[in-house]
Amino acid sequence: MIRFDQVSKRYEGGHEALSQLSFQVAPGEMAFVTGHSGAGKSTLLKLLGLIERPSHGSISLDGQSLAKIGRGGIPKLRRRIGMVFQDHRLLMDRTVFANVELPLVIGGVAPAERGRRVRAALEKVGLLAYERQLPATLSTGEQQRVGIARAIVAKPTLLIADEPTGNLDPQLAVEIMGLFAEFQQVGTTVLVASHDLPLIKRMRKRVVVLDHGRLVADIAAEEVL
Amino acid sequence: MSAQQEAPIVAEPRVERSRPRPVASWRDHHAWSAGASLRRLMSRPVGTLLTVAVMALALALPLTFYLLLGNVQKMGQALGQNQAVSVFMQPGQTGPAVEMMATKLRERADVASVAIKSPQQGMDELARMQGFSGALNTLDSNPLPYALEVLPKPEASADDVARLVTDLRALQGVDLVQDSGTWRQRLDALLGVGNRVVLILAALLALAVLLVVGNTVRVDIASRSEEIGVLMLIGASGAFVRRPYLYAGIWYGLFSGLLAAGMALLIEMALAEPVTRLGHVYEGKLQIGMLPLWLLGAVPLAAAVLGWLGARLVSAWQLRKAA
Repeated sequence: MIRFDQVSKRYEGGHEALSQLSFQVAPGEMAFVTGHSGAGKSTLLKLLGLIERPSHGSISLDGQSLAKIGRGGIPKLRRRIGMVFQDHRLLMDRTVFANVELPLVIGGVAPAERGRRVRAALEKVGLLAYERQLPATLSTGEQQRVGIARAIVAKPTLLIADEPTGNLDPQLAVEIMGLFAEFQQVGTTVLVASHDLPLIKRMRKRVVVLDHGRLVADIAAEEVL
Repeated sequence: MSAQQEAPIVAEPRVERSRPRPVASWRDHHAWSAGASLRRLMSRPVGTLLTVAVMALALALPLTFYLLLGNVQKMGQALGQNQAVSVFMQPGQTGPAVEMMATKLRERADVASVAIKSPQQGMDELARMQGFSGALNTLDSNPLPYALEVLPKPEASADDVARLVTDLRALQGVDLVQDSGTWRQRLDALLGVGNRVVLILAALLALAVLLVVGNTVRVDIASRSEEIGVLMLIGASGAFVRRPYLYAGIWYGLFSGLLAAGMALLIEMALAEPVTRLGHVYEGKLQIGMLPLWLLGAVPLAAAVLGWLGARLVSAWQLRKAA
């Protein structure tokens, strides 16, 4: 379970990205975080991955307060989270296979098991045939799918995605969101930051709406029109 | 996808995550880091080769000086073996008296042999020398005294020979003792200076190796800050991120150490022929001094440690900046 309790984030310089934010996401739930540019979507995800720390309030993940996690505990927390970025953040000098394998190497998974799981992840995102290629030879959509394969290969309890379809055409965006929905169906908690309202409506999942860092609406899946 | 492989990513429940295997995981991490850093070095062969070559030259220099000094030392010892001490007797010393003195000297522990040279033998030697025969014919009588050629034991040190010379000078009937071994004392002193210079040079060049590796790793980390950021975002610890750079330092050191040992062997081979030729002049007493095998083996290992140290010193603060 993700729990935000009166969370505020003020950056150096005084800009308040989040203000008194409180909400919960149940285990295995998929939710969208939406809002205009600068609403605080990315900051929210950064706080979950401990890329940033809140200025006030508390965040907990599966009952563990993130405030209690010191510098040394951050890598361990991040291994429980799969992160998907708008700009993929792939290592361009390594093959698709090597990129997807990284979380497993970091997690200490045995080499034979790594190969099996990387191929399964690549098959899931439809890129098994590209495992030996460098990311630069792939299209933007394919690169995004490699990023997703990397995020899910270590079977994270939480998958967070920051504008994962920002650079994709509508059809591909729907496919990518479909993948996220599949991960949710097998118990992964999925939190997606997106400003693509038509796509969010189409997915019919819970929507958390932010405006200038404040929670202005929390719409249940069945209420999404 | 085969039935065995089917959907392990999304179908497996969370509780079936990999079991902890700390030792195997630690070993896998090291194997992966060592392999990844080696592949990275191989992916830019020219740059790697240049760095390794610079480091190898820095390591080969003190090795070469060590080899040369060793050979000069051996040369000094070999030439020293041929240096007899000449003892010129006072005029009027008779053959039996000189023979008695020679017998006494042969009993000394530091003397290998004593040869007596009569005045006539001395005159004959002079006569054989070009330009002297005419001059000698003008002499009414032989002015040369008896002389002894005292050869010290090969294992005698410069100090032993100096003591022997002092003793010879004190003998009754001795007019002059000519010790051509003084040059050896000077050579030994110079070799002492040379050895110290080699040590200082080795320390300075080891520092240079450290700096070369450190700078290479610094540039490498700076150019890979994006990659380091990604690794940290997906859960890599600082140790995991740093490990490939430490291995890169080890590889640089190891390869440059091997190259330096190879260079030293080539220099040895280049020296072998002229030194052997020189040895023939000295009745085979002079042979090339080789670098000891333990040293050739120790150089790559020491260089690997230096590389690791250089990478460790730099990566600690550089990674903090990059992350």
